[in-house]
Order: sequence, then structure tokens, then C-alpha cells
Amino acid sequence: MAEFSEALFSIFFIETLINGLLLGGVLALLSLGLNLIFGVVDVVWICYAEIIMLGMYTIFFLYKAGVPLPLAILGGIAVTTILGYLTHKLVISRVLDAAPINQLLATGGLLFFFQGLAMVVFGIEFRNLGVSLGSLAVSSDIYLSSTRLLSFAVSGVVVICLYFFLSRSYLGAAIRAISQDREIMTLMGVDTKRLYLLTSAIGGALAGLAAALLALQYDIHPFIGLSFGPITFVICVMGGLGNMVGGFLAAFVFAELITLGGYFADLEWGYVMAFVFFVVTMFIRPEGLFARKS
Amino acid sequence: MREFRVFQRVTAIATMALALFAFAINATAQDKKIKIGVIYDYTGPLAGGGSDLQALGAKIMIDHINSQGGVEGYKIKAIYADAQSKPEVAINEAVRLIEQEKVDMLLGFYSSAQCVPVAAKVDALKKFMWITTCISPAVLKGRKLKYVFRPQVHGGQFGWLSVEFLHANAKSKMGVEPGKLRLAIIHEDGPYGSGVAGGNASKAKELGMNVVLKEGYSATAPDLSSLVTKLKRKRPDVILHTGYNPDISLFLRQAKEQGLKFKALIGHGAGYGVADKLYDALGNDVDHFFNVDPVSIWLLDPKSLKPGLAAITEKVGKEYVKAKPSTKTKSAHVGMAASNAHVFFTDVLPRAIKKYGGIDAESLRKAALETNIPVGGTLLGFGVKFPKTGENDMMGQNTMASPVVMQYIKRKVYVAWPKALQTIDPVLPLPKSSPYTK
Repeated sequence: MAEFSEALFSIFFIETLINGLLLGGVLALLSLGLNLIFGVVDVVWICYAEIIMLGMYTIFFLYKAGVPLPLAILGGIAVTTILGYLTHKLVISRVLDAAPINQLLATGGLLFFFQGLAMVVFGIEFRNLGVSLGSLAVSSDIYLSSTRLLSFAVSGVVVICLYFFLSRSYLGAAIRAISQDREIMTLMGVDTKRLYLLTSAIGGALAGLAAALLALQYDIHPFIGLSFGPITFVICVMGGLGNMVGGFLAAFVFAELITLGGYFADLEWGYVMAFVFFVVTMFIRPEGLFARKS
Repeated sequence: MREFRVFQRVTAIATMALALFAFAINATAQDKKIKIGVIYDYTGPLAGGGSDLQALGAKIMIDHINSQGGVEGYKIKAIYADAQSKPEVAINEAVRLIEQEKVDMLLGFYSSAQCVPVAAKVDALKKFMWITTCISPAVLKGRKLKYVFRPQVHGGQFGWLSVEFLHANAKSKMGVEPGKLRLAIIHEDGPYGSGVAGGNASKAKELGMNVVLKEGYSATAPDLSSLVTKLKRKRPDVILHTGYNPDISLFLRQAKEQGLKFKALIGHGAGYGVADKLYDALGNDVDHFFNVDPVSIWLLDPKSLKPGLAAITEKVGKEYVKAKPSTKTKSAHVGMAASNAHVFFTDVLPRAIKKYGGIDAESLRKAALETNIPVGGTLLGFGVKFPKTGENDMMGQNTMASPVVMQYIKRKVYVAWPKALQTIDPVLPLPKSSPYTK
């Protein structure tokens, strides 16, 4: 108990809260694209984290080839945008009317394909950009990772941009409409195929953005998707699959549970708490924590 | 005269018969082979974390032995299998190799999480298993396995040595009484990390040293910031870390960004054993970190080894660079597997064939139990001797294996401890140039 109260009233408790927020920024960025795609296309891309992984590799190799980092990041985003487009065009569009389990199996197959492809092409070596953005000293005890701050800021900007895109633009309105009722939209003459492709490409671009921020923080290897894929999926479900704002907020709830649990108990307890919270949420609000009641 | 001709003919026929017999014997000998299932992680996160280098070391040695004509007339037929960094795959592959490929024995294994279940399974199937790498004490401790042998150092020894090193150098190098040195033990939470951390903790207790934090984490955790914050709150002088990769580079990167300061960091093999990767990921921040491992075979004084071994070390080094031309700092991993495989092929296997008449598990077991290689008799420098039944609670564990403490400075590896093997006076505490300096 003394240990708990000492931890609670320590300056490091504040650092933990902030770190939770910053981790939330990373996870939120990961979940945005996946949620957008599910909301519109109604297919869960199990392979989404692997597209991010391929984006990380693209950025790494462009940067190591002498391309300036901002351009390398743009290159990464371009590649994941194309991958998002192709994933829908070549695979998802063929299983749109299939049973959900078949859709899951198809994207699950893509996951292994992307992993295997990365292993064959890039090898099993861990790659690292070797770029550090340093940290920001808040006090003599508290330092914040600049990369995490950047991720947080980018997540915020992206969610605002997406909000305006979806609420103010013609295409955004069409995307929102199709996510609400896909059949009626077809009857009204809307080209749903084009909208699906566009959404998948935007989802791919968001994966590229996430790849850029992850490449600054993590080693790149063919299996990095395993560290993020399941968590991203859980966050999307917790926030309400397809609900972008819900997913965005759920990422912060999930991240705070991980960091606070890890701070007050063993690190693993943070994950246990977060996943227990998820299970309980599914019992109480199976439609998601932030889903609007219909 | 006629009798002489008859004698000549008989002699000629006998000579021809003998020649044919010898040829047949020779042909049979050449046809003899020992089928060995070699299991490492060629894919998955553990592959790049050191397993592929261990696999390379074992392969180099197998090829070397075959190029020398094999062992007592037996050629080695290796069947390589990928455990994919997953314990369940390792078990399945082990069973497949034994039951379908009909291998005579198994060799290899990088991950302790795989070794623990596989060792029990292989022993139950009454097959011989020679472990080159995985170090968790849990693989052998208290299990009374009959057919599983490990010439490798065990994890507890890794943990003991780093604490002994600190105890011996705290006062002289850091100006702190050993009992007042604040130690933090962090580790991946599988059998490997837990085994080493257990060794750290038990030795610290024995020597009256102060452990301010002991905590495990999952090697695939995407965030270690809470652990770093906790370490900052506990203000340790020394961090004793056991991990694979990429958790090590994630921890060190987050530690730097969050401003964690300490006087020394000691890693314990696996990810810390791949200096090239550490330097690639973290640059010169890695300078002056320590790593506990069996000594890198290229750091040993050739004169301290049995005649002939230095040439093999050199050959292993050449083959290593040929297979991985981008190597800047030779990893201890390759030499470790090569040396431990060499012990089997040059000591255990010949005795099993010559003295016990075969390559079945029982013959190999009897031969292994008679192994008695003195210090200097292996590429790794340490001796090899396995306990007799009931002698201790770790049947199959080499009682003469010992690790060393190495230090990384400017991409070079030096032996810092024990004193007898030192190639450098250890730099302790971290110099001011390190971003982690307390």
C-alpha cells in the first residue's frame, strides 16, 4: 500500500499519464485507417498492420538510398496507398458478398502473404532508420519522446482532417452515406465500387502515415505487424467497428490502461487490465464503447 | 613346382577376395550416415535476434566435419528444420523429424521457450538431443532427462556472473560499497529471461546486494515506457537486462528518450550478443555496455586452446564472413553453436560408434556421460563434463561451462571479466560521453 501511494503521489505518475496519452496517439493513428475501411467496405482487413510494415520497409530503403526523409515518407505513403487500392481491387472486391468468415480468411491469407513476401524480399534482419528526434525536457525528471509527441499531433490532425473531409466534402458525404446503407446507395446510382476503391486507398495512405511514425520508433522486421495488429483490431472493436471517433477515443482508453497498469503493477498487468476491460466492454456494450445506440 | 603354382593361384584368389571384401567394407562405411535433425528459428522474430547466426555456426561445423570425411566412417546427413520462433512449431518439427524423417538424433535449439517442452518430448520418445544454445535452467533442472545433453552454459550462470562482476568492481570502479549499489533486473518473461533473472536475484541475495526492481515483460510488447518510468522512479545504478530483439532496442530507445540514467548496463546474451544489430539500431549509444555470454571464440588466445582448435576457429570465422559478407563485428552466436556442435562430432559421436557400437540414443547417451574434456579443449575454451546420475539436479548440463562478461567499445568486443581472461580493464561507470550516464 505504501508502495502504491508513493507511486501515486510521485512526479512519475504524471509522466505515466502523459506517456499513456502519447501511446494512445500512436494506437489511434493505427486504428483510423482500419476503422475507415471497415465503416465503408464492411470488411475487416486483418492484414492492415502488414501493409504498415511494408510501408516501413519502403521508407527505410528509400531513406537508406539517399532520399531525404520527408520524401521517403511520401514514397512510403504512396506505396501503401497503392497497396490499399490493390488489396481491394484484387482481393476484397471478390469476397464482398461472401460470408464474413470467408472475408476474414481472405485478409488473413493476405497477412501471411505479406509477411512471407517481406521475409523473402527483405530477409529476417532487423532494420532501423537510425533517426532519433530526441526528446523534450519538461522538468529535470520528465522527458517526453518527440516522436511520440509528433504521433500524437499527427493523429489529432488526421482525425480532424478526416472529420472535415467526411462532413464537408461531396465524396465524404458519399462515403458516410454508403457506410449507413450500401444497398440504397447503389439503387440511387452511386458508383459504390469507385467509393470502395477510394476508401481503401485512403486507408492505405493512413497506413503509410502510421508506418512513417512507427519507423521512427521501432525496428523494422517482417513480423512487426504481430505487435500491433491484434491491439489495433481490439481498439477498433472496443470503439465500435467502423466508428472512427469511437476508435480514436478507445485508443486512448486502452493506452492509459496499459501504461497505468504497468506503472502500478508489473508491465504485463497493464495488458491484462486493458484486455479484461475489453472483454467486460464486450459484455456490457457489444456494439462498442462509443457506439451510438440506434 | 605344381604345388607352387597352386599356391600362387590360391594367393591370387585370396588377395582378390580380400580386396573385394575391403572394397565392400569401405563401400558400406561410406554409405553409413547419421541422420541429424537440426532445429533453429530461420524465420520469425527470433531468427534475426540471433537464431540464424546460431544455425549458421552449426551448419558450418557440420559441413566442416563432412569435408573431413565424416566421423568414424559415418557421413552426417543434416535435415534442417525451421521452428519459426514458435514453441508449438518446434515441438511439431521435432516429432516430425523423429517419426517421419527417422532422424537418429536432434541438435540445435535457440529459444528456451521451445527447449523446455521439446526436451521433455524428445526424451519421452527416447531420442538423443544435443542442445547447442538455449540456456534456461528449466530445460534440465529437476527433470531427470536421460537423453538430453547441453554443453552450453545455463542461464543461472549468466545471472550469477554479472552480479559477481559488479560485486567485485563496485568499490574499486564506482566508489560504492557493493551492498549499496542499486540493481534493477528486467527481463523478457519467457523461460530464458526468467532463468537468467532468477540467477541475478539469487546471487544478489547471496552477496547482500540491493535489488530495487525486478520485473518481466513480454518480448513482443509494443511499449515499454511504463517500465522506463518505473526504473526512473527507482533510480538504479546498474540495469541487468535479459531480452531478445527487438525488445532490447525498443527499451534502450525509450530509455534514452525518457531520460533514464544509470552507471552501467549488463545484457545477458541473445539480443545483446548481436553487436552489429545493436550498433545499427542505436549507434554509439551501445558503447561501454556489457554482455554476458560464452566468450566469442575469436577473442580467445589461441595458445590457451588444445593444438588444432585455433585453425578450426579461423575456418569458422572465414565461413561466417563468406556467408554474411556485411558482418562488421563477428557475433559470439556463430562460434557458440559451432563449438558446441564440434564437441559432439569430435568427442561424443566417435566414442558412441567405437566403444558402444552405434548411433542409437543409448550409445550416444553412454558416450556423452563419459565426456571429460579439460579446460582449453573446446573452441569456447571451457571444458565439458556431464553429471552422473544423481550427482546434481541438472542431469545433462555441462558442469564445466562458464560465461564471461564482455564489453562493447567502438564496435569492438573485449573480455572484461573474469580477470584471467581479460582483454580490457572494464570501463565502469559509463563515461560522460554516453547519453545514459548517471
